[in-house]
Amino acid sequence: MRVEQAWRLLPNLEALVPLRGLLLSSARPDERVQWGSGGPYLTIGKRDVEPGELERSMGPVLAGVAEHIAALYKAYVEALERQERNDAPGAVTALVGAGRLEERVGRLSQARAWYEVALALAEALQDRRPEIDTLLAIGHVCLALGQYAEGARYYQRALVLSEAEFDQAGAVDASVGLGNAAFERAEWAGARAWYSRALRLTEAGNDRLRLGRITHRLGLLDRRQGDLTAAGENLRRARECFEGLDGGAALEMARVLDAQGELDAALGRPGPAAAAFREALAWVRRDQHDAGLDVTIRLHLAELLLDTGRWLEAEEEMRRAEQLAITSNQTRGLVQIYTLLGTLRGRQGDETGFVFFEQAIALCRALEGPLLDDARVYHAYGLFRQVCGGPDEARAYLERARGIFRSLGVDAEVERVEAALRSSHDVNTPAAGAG
Amino acid sequence: MTRPTQQTINGPARPATDAVRVLAVGGEAGPGPLQSLRQWAADLSVELEWAADLPRATRLLAGGQWDLVLAVLGDRSDEELAWWVDALRGAPGGPRLIALADRPSMGLALRAEKLGVLDVLALPLQREALANAIARVRSAATEVALPLPTVVDADAHGHYALVGQSPAMLDVYKLMARVAHSTVTVLIQGESGTGKEVVARTIHQHGPAPGPFVAVNCAAIPENLLESELFGHEKGAFTGAVARKIGRFEQAGGGTLFLDEIADMSLSLQAKILRAVQEREIERVGGGESIPVTVRLIAATNRDLQEAIAQGRFREDLYYRLAVVTLQLPRLIDRGDDLLLLIGHFARQFGERYGKRIDALSDRALELLRNHQWVGNVRELRNVIERAAIVVSDGTLRSEHLPDELRAEEPGVPERSAGVLPTLAEAEARHITRVLSHTGGQIGAAAEILGIHRNTLTRKMKEYGL
Repeated sequence: MRVEQAWRLLPNLEALVPLRGLLLSSARPDERVQWGSGGPYLTIGKRDVEPGELERSMGPVLAGVAEHIAALYKAYVEALERQERNDAPGAVTALVGAGRLEERVGRLSQARAWYEVALALAEALQDRRPEIDTLLAIGHVCLALGQYAEGARYYQRALVLSEAEFDQAGAVDASVGLGNAAFERAEWAGARAWYSRALRLTEAGNDRLRLGRITHRLGLLDRRQGDLTAAGENLRRARECFEGLDGGAALEMARVLDAQGELDAALGRPGPAAAAFREALAWVRRDQHDAGLDVTIRLHLAELLLDTGRWLEAEEEMRRAEQLAITSNQTRGLVQIYTLLGTLRGRQGDETGFVFFEQAIALCRALEGPLLDDARVYHAYGLFRQVCGGPDEARAYLERARGIFRSLGVDAEVERVEAALRSSHDVNTPAAGAG
Repeated sequence: MTRPTQQTINGPARPATDAVRVLAVGGEAGPGPLQSLRQWAADLSVELEWAADLPRATRLLAGGQWDLVLAVLGDRSDEELAWWVDALRGAPGGPRLIALADRPSMGLALRAEKLGVLDVLALPLQREALANAIARVRSAATEVALPLPTVVDADAHGHYALVGQSPAMLDVYKLMARVAHSTVTVLIQGESGTGKEVVARTIHQHGPAPGPFVAVNCAAIPENLLESELFGHEKGAFTGAVARKIGRFEQAGGGTLFLDEIADMSLSLQAKILRAVQEREIERVGGGESIPVTVRLIAATNRDLQEAIAQGRFREDLYYRLAVVTLQLPRLIDRGDDLLLLIGHFARQFGERYGKRIDALSDRALELLRNHQWVGNVRELRNVIERAAIVVSDGTLRSEHLPDELRAEEPGVPERSAGVLPTLAEAEARHITRVLSHTGGQIGAAAEILGIHRNTLTRKMKEYGL
């Protein structure tokens, strides 16, 4: 049975979310479809799922769910016990811990619910550090949910408290969080001010991990602002900070190399860019594999190949990312992969490429993830329709994307969509330009 | 429709005494498991470099040409093996991989074989085992270049060229010529990748219908969108119907509508297609008006429609409407020397695309291509040649430019433990792996080929760690 058919039989209930994940991860392509004319358009919906195999794989999934719920219950009981022993900071830590567990499995809204309970408790304490930690945690999850303005408010509160408590690490993390919130809303000057402030606070100490993270963010900001030389310098500094650091730095290194790859691509150096992405993939593998980051890097590599006209290799890389996203349940990654596959087909002038955007939209609906993902899909779909027929549809999708970006306050994206809408209007009304 | 020009020359061959460049990747703790390698290097004419971990290895791989990578696998050997195969794809020099593991399981060895890994060796590394592997790398480097045939037929150009002169294809051409000048409905049957759309386009090009050729891939389009794709829809007919859409039936007006993978259509949609074919009119989704359409219909499938009818998955009345004339396309392995013509055609096509002149093929590469099963037929061959065209540097396609999966099928390659006969279990496990590979991992189909119950196969797969 095809996944698209199996999906229709599954109601949208929270208790069934792991089953939906299992449905995706156990889906396999039918070889006849793979090599058939439908092969180039194969999406998760067109893969096959076997009820027997699903049943066989249920055990470990249910065990994982039980383990996760048990850990949450345990955290809650610990919070109660701490509260009974008049250890309210301990109770806050336990509740925040539960939120982190939820975040780790991608349940961001649920994580936020835990943090909010923790915050209500922390606000009543004389010791303000638990409150700082909780505010930082909520700020982080808000950004992951695409709620940038809200995230910034939490980080602002964390910063004020950290400074009052002389908590330098808290102040640095809050400043970086504020920088990230500004960065996502394309408020470049604000982002630079916050990162610079965090950098000043960090340079006084010898915290190489934080220093590396800040210079990495500054590198990303430089690139967005078009100062590629400064970006290269900041990324080099970030790499120096992470080199030789133990525990957890491998993933940071992978992120910096990924950014380096994107920078090299922007500089028109596809060779070094590809080498940086490949090395980033090696770092992702070195300690603990992060499938989400792996998928992201592969997508950047695929974009590079796409932009340099190496379509076959681009598609192969996207298909590898797809396989990884499916087996590791990275549904958001799948949305991005199908959007890029649709873009590739658009470049090839292949109208049937619309199936990838439709699949991405279906996944967005099923996932109910950040609205930003939906907006990005509609934007790319609109651009695809501009090239591959359907000017009315192109305009409709672009307008939908603009509406979402506007509601999220992402002005830079609104401008990009408006530019596309203007070009669409110019194409459709030649007389307007002729006058 | 094409003729090859035949000539044979001997191209330059790499001297068998050249030093083999080996990159050894030995994990975090240092060169431990590969310690002896340094002592053997000079003796085996090996230029050895060592990388402590994956990131350093990646840098070295990007920076130079390597013949062989020796990678020590850790606890997650399966994942690491897959990573290495991925990392070496397209690396300069096309290095082969030897995976080293403490106690390599049969499952690991078989997976490695399937992925085209040169060998899996147990640690501590034995000198003789390494020497054998290096000898294989050296022998692979000695290849003779043969000129590729020049495709001279005027029709054999572009993306949709029909290339081939085998008896099986000549029969197809004859039938195509007979049906092309009418507007009769044609059903094209054949395995995946045999060129059904190319045949449909050619029939259209030589036919009387002046309108466009419109192809719809029924397998690619989500089930819930296929109806509106075929018949169109009115604005607001359903969520996402942002504007009126003209369907493919209308777009193909006065021309040909090609319905590919027709067996993938639901029964309810089959009924609507039947109505359109019989009554020559359609209705847009969400519209009440009947719209007359004049199209020539060509349908194609890689499935057995008679079997689908017997199983109640395909309408018999629609089958007879579509199969007025049936064209059966041959598999690539049944087309003899067409393989060489197609290689020449694709080499020229992709050579042009990637700005390279490719005019020769090595004897070893040809042997590998001839021995491959070509489950994906011409489409798979096209992919293989395109990939090779990307990495080729000197105008000759060699075995190193072919995918690892093909290189793994190299004939005459000694078994892993040279001189030692496999146990019955090893032979069985290897055969199961081959059959599973042939069926693309489909257990039911594999059990059918093996002549055992699927539960027995599942048990054996579990037992052998497949």
